[in-house]
Amino acid sequence: MDGAPAAAQEVQEAERRIAHVPLVLNRRNFDWLTERISGVIEQPAPRWWWVIFAITASAATFGLFCIGYQISTGVGTWGNQIPVGWAWDITNFVFWIGIGHAGTLISAILFLLRQKWRTSINRSAEAMTLFAVICAAIFPGIHVGRFWMAWYMAPIPNNWGIWQNFRSALMWDVFAVSTYFTVSVLFWYTGLVPDLATLRDRATTRIRKFLFGIFALGWRGSNRHWRHYEMAYLLLAGLSTPLVLSVHSVVSFDFASTLVPTWHTTIFPPYFVAGAIFGGFAMVLTLLLPARAIFKLQDVITPQHVDKMAKIILLTGSFVGYAYTMEFFIAWYSGDHYERFAFWNRIFGPYWWYWWFGMLFCNVVSPQLFWFRWCRHNVLVVFFVCMCVNAGMWFERFIIIAGGLVRDFLPSSWRVYHPTWVDIWTYIGTIGIFTSLFLLFIRFLPMIAMSEVKTATPEADPHYGEAPEIESVSSGGKERTR
Amino acid sequence: MKHVFHHPPEPSNGTKYWRGLGELNDTPEFRQWLEREFPPGAAELNGDEWSRREFVKLMGASMALAGVGLTSCRRPELHLVPFTKNVEWTIPGKFLYYATAMPRRTGAIPLIATTVDGRPIKLEGNPLHPASAGATDTFVQASILDLYDPTRSKRFVQKGKGSTREEFEKQIAELRKTLLSDGGDGLAFLVEETNSPTRERLRAELEKNFPGMRWCVYEPRLSVEGNAAMQTAFGANARVLQKLDRADVILALDSDFLDCGQGDLETVRAFTSRRRVSAPKDSMNRLYVVEHRFTLTGAMADHRLRCPASQIPAFAHALATKILAGTNDASLASLVETSQDASNTFDQEWIDGVASDLMAKPGASLVIAGPTQPVAVHVLVYAINAALKNVGQTLIVRQVPRNAKTIDIAQLATEISDGRIKQLFIFGGDPVYNAPRGLVEDPQTELPLDWADLQKKVPSIVRVGYHEDATSELSQWHIPLAHYLESWGDALTARGDYLSIQPMIVPLFGGLSEIELMNMLLGGPKVQGPELAQETFRLTNPPGDFQTVWSRFLHDGFAAHVQSSDQPASFNAGAAATLPRDSSSLSAAPTAESPEIVLTGSYSMDDGRYANNGWLQELPDPITKLSWDNGASISPAYAKKLGVETGDLLRIAINEKSASGQQIKRELVIAAVVSPGHADNSVTVTLGWARKMPQFVELPYAGANLKEKPGLTEQAGFNGYFLRTAANPHVAVAGGKGIESVQVTKVGRTYPFSITQEHFSIEGRGLVREATLEGYRANNEFAKKIPGGEEQLPHPPPSLYTHPPLDAPQQWGMSIDLNVCTGCNACVIACQAENNIPVVGKLQVAHGRIMHWIRIDRYYASREPFNQDRGVWPEHPEMVFQPMPCQHCENAPCETVCPVNATVHSEDGLNVMAYNRCIGTRFCSNNCPYKVRRFNYFDYNQRPVGKRKLVGALNIYEEYFAPLTTKGAPDTMKMQKNPNVTVRMRGVMEKCTYCVQRIQEAKIAALARAGASADTLIPRDSFTTACAQACPTEAIVFGDIKDPESRVSKMKEQDRNYRILDYLNVVPRTSYLARLRNPNPKMPDAKDVGIASLVETLPE
Repeated sequence: MDGAPAAAQEVQEAERRIAHVPLVLNRRNFDWLTERISGVIEQPAPRWWWVIFAITASAATFGLFCIGYQISTGVGTWGNQIPVGWAWDITNFVFWIGIGHAGTLISAILFLLRQKWRTSINRSAEAMTLFAVICAAIFPGIHVGRFWMAWYMAPIPNNWGIWQNFRSALMWDVFAVSTYFTVSVLFWYTGLVPDLATLRDRATTRIRKFLFGIFALGWRGSNRHWRHYEMAYLLLAGLSTPLVLSVHSVVSFDFASTLVPTWHTTIFPPYFVAGAIFGGFAMVLTLLLPARAIFKLQDVITPQHVDKMAKIILLTGSFVGYAYTMEFFIAWYSGDHYERFAFWNRIFGPYWWYWWFGMLFCNVVSPQLFWFRWCRHNVLVVFFVCMCVNAGMWFERFIIIAGGLVRDFLPSSWRVYHPTWVDIWTYIGTIGIFTSLFLLFIRFLPMIAMSEVKTATPEADPHYGEAPEIESVSSGGKERTR
Repeated sequence: MKHVFHHPPEPSNGTKYWRGLGELNDTPEFRQWLEREFPPGAAELNGDEWSRREFVKLMGASMALAGVGLTSCRRPELHLVPFTKNVEWTIPGKFLYYATAMPRRTGAIPLIATTVDGRPIKLEGNPLHPASAGATDTFVQASILDLYDPTRSKRFVQKGKGSTREEFEKQIAELRKTLLSDGGDGLAFLVEETNSPTRERLRAELEKNFPGMRWCVYEPRLSVEGNAAMQTAFGANARVLQKLDRADVILALDSDFLDCGQGDLETVRAFTSRRRVSAPKDSMNRLYVVEHRFTLTGAMADHRLRCPASQIPAFAHALATKILAGTNDASLASLVETSQDASNTFDQEWIDGVASDLMAKPGASLVIAGPTQPVAVHVLVYAINAALKNVGQTLIVRQVPRNAKTIDIAQLATEISDGRIKQLFIFGGDPVYNAPRGLVEDPQTELPLDWADLQKKVPSIVRVGYHEDATSELSQWHIPLAHYLESWGDALTARGDYLSIQPMIVPLFGGLSEIELMNMLLGGPKVQGPELAQETFRLTNPPGDFQTVWSRFLHDGFAAHVQSSDQPASFNAGAAATLPRDSSSLSAAPTAESPEIVLTGSYSMDDGRYANNGWLQELPDPITKLSWDNGASISPAYAKKLGVETGDLLRIAINEKSASGQQIKRELVIAAVVSPGHADNSVTVTLGWARKMPQFVELPYAGANLKEKPGLTEQAGFNGYFLRTAANPHVAVAGGKGIESVQVTKVGRTYPFSITQEHFSIEGRGLVREATLEGYRANNEFAKKIPGGEEQLPHPPPSLYTHPPLDAPQQWGMSIDLNVCTGCNACVIACQAENNIPVVGKLQVAHGRIMHWIRIDRYYASREPFNQDRGVWPEHPEMVFQPMPCQHCENAPCETVCPVNATVHSEDGLNVMAYNRCIGTRFCSNNCPYKVRRFNYFDYNQRPVGKRKLVGALNIYEEYFAPLTTKGAPDTMKMQKNPNVTVRMRGVMEKCTYCVQRIQEAKIAALARAGASADTLIPRDSFTTACAQACPTEAIVFGDIKDPESRVSKMKEQDRNYRILDYLNVVPRTSYLARLRNPNPKMPDAKDVGIASLVETLPE
């Protein structure tokens, strides 16, 4: 007799616990969100911002000098040689492209999957994507011997009647990356429009009013606008979703479509995509954990968000670990002497510690900490693992690219690669460019999608007020006084 | 005829036309001015017309004058004309070919020089003469670069200051007067061996004029010992020649007779002619080598014994004892019985095996002693050959007259030291650099004197040389020497054949040739052309009209009517037995504490004469793969004992005691090269490196050689001549003449080497496939049965791509016979000369950016397992070579990955590069399994490479300073470039093209010849690539693989044919013929021979 109501109550209780840990803590209302997020932009830049920006901008400037030097003098300023035709240049390219994956994954795939928690992080993740793709795009451009002739890769009709070679994976790369960048910019900008309008409305100076006015495209928040906006956003999300998977698959074809042992592998597309998402989420966390603390956004970017991202890192990290294992298995199983030697060489050859430290420890072992809830909720541990993954993913690309080339078919041509200072500083320069752009972004644009976060609050729920009572999870930030 | 302009008559309507106000006014001043300004033309302007009669009168008079006075006084027609006056038989841009010859100490090499627009750009062997038969060696190929060396001596120098030729001629005229008055007493010449009959003729005339003069020939690498033995055993004018094509069994004792760089291409070819195997029934000769270091000959050996150089006499004696026991030869007995028996230090089984194999082939075997071995060894070896009945069979003699009055450098040194030499002429060479140290003892200080000290004692020295070097610095006069491509002359080959040398270009820097200078000293008329050589040629009594025969001589490059024939040889055992035997006393085997130091010539610098040749500096040593440097080669076991690795510096100290009891210490700090296959407790130092040329501020290639005290990181090579004394010129070992002890110690610092091939293990990959002759006969398909061989592929495998049709009537391909390739590097330099391949400098080589389009891969193979990475090195390996040009894959992996279609396939099967289209992604190189593509990482052709620039505290290579450095190569360097080959810019990929420019030339010629007919095919085997053309052993063959009768098709049909990495299905057009060795089954090491591809670790 009592069985049914008791069970129903239990279900209700369980549902309450599972579903409704709120995405914005401490019942922050629309006003608080607008004030807090816009405040980052509207208040004068704090001193730390200037200090960090000075450092990163200097690194970026020196990196640009290195690029200029390399273009004017020759690729020989790098350590590349024969047989290692690609080394840090393409390693950095793949590294940055990989980082550029998380943004679109968060904004597009999680959007389509109705993952509301994405709203707190999608804006900065998307911005990060763009900046990473900008950094990535530098390398294929400058790594060529004749930079001034790089336009030969563009399919421009010409009087010689020479067309590009569409059999070359490098050609596919050009199209894949440029498409990805274009769509990502559109997607990011579309999402920004309502927030730009908010900023326009709040602007106190003429210049801000004018610029935000232009970029807000006359957004008035009318029902009609919202309808069009949401349809456009959905379409772009649909368009971006396959790109997330395609870009890094195509990048992996640069290697998979060759015959170099350790490159010529069918596992590469999923392996690279998983690795990209893995590295991308680590980089999102690397940027957001400090930003969240500095701007006191713990109520918006909650432990729940960090926890979810850590789980994705654990998942994709395990994919990557599985891929590593499969590579070795297939190398053994194939019976191909060259393939077996190459993998043997990977762990015991000249770059042995890159593999043991970079690939094994950083990429496979360190994310295993995220099996533990305590680790996922300890900001320092999360940050440490993310840094490990950032480094590990760079090492992984280096081992795949240069490690595959140092010892291929003819032992007579084997030669170990050593980077030069130009290699190193060009890479540091792109880190400078990336961080500088990100710092500029958080100064001038809302780093959290205000309009979207608001949809994740109880007020946005048409059934607002009927929701069950919840307890506060986080202590939250201090109330900002106006 | 010049057109005379006639003014029209003044119009009758009264209009007056005028050309100036002066003319219009026609004032007296104007008339005066006219007279002054145009004396002969004034009449015209005055209105007086030239009459036809007057014109004819004048022309007639001048023609009569010309005809009467000058008709028979035409200047002799000289074919050296400035190119501003176009020569009627030249077509701009088309090559012209002339015969000439390169003089060498062992005998000249007949050549065909390719010239374009008046400048020689490439040298090939003269196919009409057997001394070359169309082939060349590294030094011939590289000598073209010496001609254009921008730092060649350009001026006449007197006491360090620039002077003129006229001034020098005046001095010579005065000197001649003095010399005539005192009969030339005090006159001496120090020359290099050029084998020039004209020089000998002029020398004889000089000796007539100045009976007191001395003539000294000095060549550091010419075997004094060998010549002495030859003259004792076979007569004063005898030149002993080897007939290796008749020898079935050959034993080389410390002899690198397969080193083509020694100039005897005929011998090398004769040897390899017996190693050409086209079917299992064919036979092969068998080569035994006893040597202390790996040489090209050792790499070819069927059996090789590591033996310190100082132990070769002992080995020769041990062998002689065995041969004596088998043959009971009386003359051999007279040489052997006096010596000690040291045979028990060697593997008895080994010696027995060799001796019985040699004795089994009487008259068809040959024992060869190395040029640096003592006279006693040479004589003993001749006696062994005599006992084996080889004299007259595999050893023949030709009579080449020698001037008995020639003295050696030690005698000249004594004369100088005694103050008897007043006037010294030094032709070529660089004795301050390469003369033996300790030539003579100073009478006052009792210390040994070097050549540099002696040169200071001569009041007047005239030095003729290519460079203003250390010798020039200590000479009163330095005269620029004309290159052999700039001068008239003649020379004899190793076998005494008479060759012509004609200039291809006027001396670029106004140099003199040796014979011109001798003529000057003889007071002869100033020579304009070939007079001196012609005079010598006249003495040979050429048949028929002299001009015709002379032209024929120049055209063919040799004189067919001058024949020196093989003479019946007889070994003079009695004379041989009278030779002093001091050197036959057998020294004890070297130990780790008291090693031997062996000084050998260099495969790329020779004796140092090519010190400023960038191609040769960069050319990797065939054995050590060292570029830009030499080193001290030691065995892995000895290296372990010393605790050093490749690149660690060693200090070699030789402690001597002079005749008067003075202690002398000679030291050289040199970097070690750990070299598998080297004899233990033996250190090989290659000579010819670190030559300094102080008069020049910079040498483009010698790196910082020129600095007085180079830092270790900046020098290129180590000067082994510091250790080379007159008493012990080849081997320094404790117990040698005056040597108390020899020490080798570790310095504790390392030296940066540039090694082009760091990994020497073949890692069990079927790249070089090898078997024994027996193994081949048992399984003639062995080359295909190795994993990765052809039979594993389904043909044709499926492909996603559309491939070029490959439907041209002729399809190009290449075959490389590994069985006859000696690894000599001639192809590498030939390719560099033909294809305008830049020199990149030591640092860039160290970075792995050498540009050679063809490289010689060298692998060691050993039955004992070794692991290079873990430092387990083979002690007694085999060595195999594999020339590696672009393989021109039909399914080229480089083509599919190029994003801009810069590398594509042609219908005739070439994998071609469009440099203009290349943007330099390097993707093609990454995907090339053979790693034969080369990338221009810097602007090697336009920017200075290998040179350092000091900017404040920075000391950086100039290539890192572009674009701040001056762009452009020196003009003379541009002159060498082949106009048919693009000079590549930075940022583009390049590689072997199968000499596409030669294919196109041949095609154009074939089309032109065909005219309207359909026969447009290039005639079979009518041209070849630069590498194949240079190859002295014809290991590389190029041609049309569609034509079943072409040489390349025939080679590819052989059962030893295989393609490397065939399992990748790239279908290379270059294939290899597997290597064979012919071990003697009775030898103890027979099982370790022919194993390069047997150690197969490929899993099943």
